[in-house]
Amino acid sequence: MSARRIGVLAAAAVAVLAAVAAIAAACGSGAPAAETARPGSTLVSTLVDPDGDGFLQRGPGEPLRTRPELPAGRPGRTLATFGQLTDTHVRDEESPARVPFLDRLGAPFTSTFRPQEAESDQVLDAGVRSLDREHPQAVFVTGDITDSAQENELDQAIATLRGGRVDPDSGARGYDGVQQADSPDPFFYRPDVDAPRFPGLLARAERPFTATGLRAPWYPTVGNHDVLVQGEVPPTAAIERVATGNRLVDTLDPSLRPPRDEAGAAAATARLLAEHAASSGRRVPADPRRRHPGAAAIVDRLARAAGVTPAQAGRLDYAVDVGASVRAIVLDTVNRAGGSRGLLPPGELRWLRAELARAGSRWVLVFTHNPLESSAGGEAALRALDADPRVVAVVAGNRHRNTIEPRRAGGGGYWLIGTSSLADFPQQARMFRLRAASGGGVVLETWMVDQDGRGVAGPARELAYLDAQGGRPAGFAGRPQDRNVRLGIPAR
Amino acid sequence: MIALAVAGLRARRTRTLLAALGIFAAALVVGTAVTVGYGLGTGFGRAADAADLPDVIARFSPEERQRIDQRVRALPNLESRSYRFEVNNVVLESRGRLVRSGALHVVLGGRRGYDIVEGHDLTRRRGQVVIERGLATQWGLHPGDTLDVGRIGRERIVGIAVSPDNVAYPLAKAARVYMSIDEIAARFGFAPSQANANLALLWLRDPAHADVTLTQARAVSFGIGRLEFITRDGVRLLIGQAAGIVISLLVAFSLVALAAAGTMLAAGAHADVQRRLAAFGVQRALGFTPRRLAGVQAVEALAVALPAGLLGITAGAVAVAGPAGRLLAALNELPPGAALLGPLALALLVVVLVVVAAGTWPAWRAARRPPAEILRGGEIASRRPGRSARGGLLGLGARFATAARARWIAAVATIAVCAGVVTLMLSLASLLEHLRDDPGTVGKRYSLVAQGGTDRLREVEAVPGVDAAGVRYQVEAADAFRLGESMRLIAFSGDHTRFEAPPLAEGRRLRGPGEAEVGEGLADALGLRPGSMLAAQLPSGQEVRFRVAGIVRALEVSGRIAWVRPAKLLAASPGIQPSLAIRLDPDADRGAVVRRLDAIGVPPQSASGATTRNGQFLGILAAVLRGVGLAVGLVCLYALVQALAMTARERRSAVATLRATGAGRGAVALVLAGAALVVAVPGALAGIVLEALVLGPLVARLAASFADLAVSPTLAQALLVGLGLLALAAAATVLVARRVLREPVVAGLRES
Repeated sequence: MSARRIGVLAAAAVAVLAAVAAIAAACGSGAPAAETARPGSTLVSTLVDPDGDGFLQRGPGEPLRTRPELPAGRPGRTLATFGQLTDTHVRDEESPARVPFLDRLGAPFTSTFRPQEAESDQVLDAGVRSLDREHPQAVFVTGDITDSAQENELDQAIATLRGGRVDPDSGARGYDGVQQADSPDPFFYRPDVDAPRFPGLLARAERPFTATGLRAPWYPTVGNHDVLVQGEVPPTAAIERVATGNRLVDTLDPSLRPPRDEAGAAAATARLLAEHAASSGRRVPADPRRRHPGAAAIVDRLARAAGVTPAQAGRLDYAVDVGASVRAIVLDTVNRAGGSRGLLPPGELRWLRAELARAGSRWVLVFTHNPLESSAGGEAALRALDADPRVVAVVAGNRHRNTIEPRRAGGGGYWLIGTSSLADFPQQARMFRLRAASGGGVVLETWMVDQDGRGVAGPARELAYLDAQGGRPAGFAGRPQDRNVRLGIPAR
Repeated sequence: MIALAVAGLRARRTRTLLAALGIFAAALVVGTAVTVGYGLGTGFGRAADAADLPDVIARFSPEERQRIDQRVRALPNLESRSYRFEVNNVVLESRGRLVRSGALHVVLGGRRGYDIVEGHDLTRRRGQVVIERGLATQWGLHPGDTLDVGRIGRERIVGIAVSPDNVAYPLAKAARVYMSIDEIAARFGFAPSQANANLALLWLRDPAHADVTLTQARAVSFGIGRLEFITRDGVRLLIGQAAGIVISLLVAFSLVALAAAGTMLAAGAHADVQRRLAAFGVQRALGFTPRRLAGVQAVEALAVALPAGLLGITAGAVAVAGPAGRLLAALNELPPGAALLGPLALALLVVVLVVVAAGTWPAWRAARRPPAEILRGGEIASRRPGRSARGGLLGLGARFATAARARWIAAVATIAVCAGVVTLMLSLASLLEHLRDDPGTVGKRYSLVAQGGTDRLREVEAVPGVDAAGVRYQVEAADAFRLGESMRLIAFSGDHTRFEAPPLAEGRRLRGPGEAEVGEGLADALGLRPGSMLAAQLPSGQEVRFRVAGIVRALEVSGRIAWVRPAKLLAASPGIQPSLAIRLDPDADRGAVVRRLDAIGVPPQSASGATTRNGQFLGILAAVLRGVGLAVGLVCLYALVQALAMTARERRSAVATLRATGAGRGAVALVLAGAALVVAVPGALAGIVLEALVLGPLVARLAASFADLAVSPTLAQALLVGLGLLALAAAATVLVARRVLREPVVAGLRES
């Protein structure tokens, strides 16, 4: 069966399911229908908190709504389907090379600890399973695949994405991080004793498991967390000693006054990791797998795992085809010098222009970790895209938030799409379907996909939702028009 | 059937009146119990609903409102929030009365969390203040009066408010008044938006998940000083602890009274049926069915029980309405009003049903027998020939009373239960006094403290009257994670429960130097559970860690307290000064011990009770208990009179024979006194034993969440109960003797 026929059938099935769900809701039989709905596509059903009590339950799906900003003709045949996973932050939560105690200071340190961080492998596996059910032709993993550029994190992430045996544990067998029941620090959520209690969650999270793996080819992008320690600091020899050492700093020095601006925060993180651990902290089992291989080695491993060839050594820039009509350009936006702000060096911009030219009449989608509009050198890249009438969208991660904005350009315009993370609530992936439109344009349909919540991924999502410094209060799920929508690209 | 019943009742007017009195007494107890129990049991919920009491109240050091709100609004399960700024120790003055411990709550908008019970809430108009009902009642203030509020000056009272998040002034130390931020900002010249907050009121979507919200609140509370959470359930628990004891007691009392009355009524009905067996036999021979005879009996019982029960329950409700209302007001709760009518009606129904069942069952059983068999029946008490008439007239009376063994046991059981209840109340009254003055009742088991350490321990222990002495360390610490939580660490060398033993809520007692027992307040603030780690920063800057062995219900410093062994504390801070906790023998002469300690150079001070300022509240509690006690006493008297009257009725011919042979009033009284004593004395003894072995421990267990209570009777209390019962027996003797002596001798002789 051809990819096109599969796409048409899948679209028909989704439409039927959506219609059934809508009718069921209209008939007042919503709750049972929602409860029994298959997890995954939010077109069918999604997780909601209708009574606002902090606990999620399955609710009706969100239908595709048409965004009017860039009108196109009626959607027709499917040109390509693909998925996006981003900011999965597979984390070695037991690593000494971490600063989770900074989380209590609030922004910009809120990502240094998450109540659900021990389950990051399983959440990625749950996201992979859900995305597999959507049968994409390709999956783009747009950066921050790992949390702190450690080798064991990368091993776990790649094993989860490819499928096979995954061992989330590090150091000695069992959990040995800051969330243990006997942790005296009240700022860390301890699942065995704090509400909502999930006794044994940490032990289960540390058990090896067999990952399903993505059925479709997957294409990675590097993010700052993939190549920088804590997403901020290039690895140094001193940090390396901490990472592979046996002293875990788990408390905040009362005299510490860390800066709140990002540059200062990065420097503070580096200083804390390099200096503080030597003199304080508690003893934990050392693990040499916690070393930081460095950006070039990480790029190389990811490229080999995905079977892609970078345009230049040390940076993960490449282009691939998704079906016959779509060219995907993957840009490496990580500033190797440190910090989370994206950077496009001049050479990369030249390569982008060349790739756009090489795409010819194919529709172009650009995948990056950092949104171009907020990256150094990004505006120039956007101007280059503005000039190309075949550009459909720039799809990014990093912000952990669902956003969709039109970019109007002389040639008509395209869409800037940001997708929420698997690390924070709503822990969703994104699906895309590019369809030919009447009149010569195209329509890009996109919808969110919930991770399936099986095993410890269920409690992880609940904890992510409750987190008072997480995606719920930050509004990472975005507006309805940032999620399940139909986006037009008019013919030019 | 009704006419028959009415005729029967008319024919036995005196006995009917006696039965009605018994029902009245039992219903009186039930009425008081239902009124107080229902009022207290539902008072908090009623007041909390009316006041829209928040599900969580957070107190903290003054913070910029925006900064706090940024964190609060991110909490899960949050429905709404509002803020206040609380200023303590404000001088309040009105009508020549003054209090320096006023608590000014500056309302920063949003939901209020208090109920206006008189007047109206704060409006935008200047010069307004709302005051709490406790202050209004205490000072006789009403809307329209004025109140001087600290430096703010004279304000007009526009409303009286009730907020059940605390007990009322003066039971609470602070008298609470409310003003709007607009008023304060205008007075002191700043923009209302610049006001700080130190109190956050949170309303939750699902209060059952308050723990989840609090976990998140704790996680984002870094840098907020002296953070303290209290939940609506926590308030209910705190206020309900004391009330819970009273409710449990009252429910128990009403059941006891009902059971006692039922027993007595059943015994009475049984005797009545026995007396009327001949009439039953004739009626059955004339064709009356057993159902009809039982029906007549039921109608008779109903005709007596309904008005007597109604009167009793009404009288009980009216009698304790005042004290119950004051008790509710002291707890900042609202009276039930018309909602009480339902429970009272239900109670009346129960009383009537018990009485009717007790009266009808013996009649039904008797009437089912064949008429001939019924007509053969006679006196229920068989004479026992061969028993010597020892003991004189008193002994004769005793034998009369014990001849009907089942009824005698029932009467003794009733008296025993009543005596047990009265003894329990006497014990509780003493306990309430102790709660005022004696720290032992709230976990502290020592009454004196003195400067000194291990070097003086032996000397102090050797002082006559000293039961035990221990070296005690106390240090004010802070949590080691900069939550701003202060805590008190108490350490005893050896078993601390010999000196301080707050009730254990969870886990177990500490066993080693690395363990701690943590107060609930501290556990809530730091999210501690048995097995958790407590990390404390000592004033010396050193950190000490203890594994939590148990959570205890401690009243001191809002439960922000932990008991540990001293080894770790002294290792980290060798300079901590110890003191000596001195426990006295129960019978020790406190003054003599103090003098002796003075003499050896260890001048002691009293260890203060934790509820010193709750005297008035305890007084009200005692008044309520006394009201119920009076009703129980009436049941006692009724039981005695009933038992005695029954004996006199059965032994009518014997008493008449005595009188015919020349026995005077004194002799008859002696016989009756013997009959009364044989019921009262064993009843009193059994009652005291019942209290000591059953009721006391039961109540102590009920109160275990509040304090360690020792509710066992003293010798004096036991004597008092015994003497009281003797007095009641004497009263019953007089009452019955007068009736017996009014009857012509011939009438009694004719019966024989």
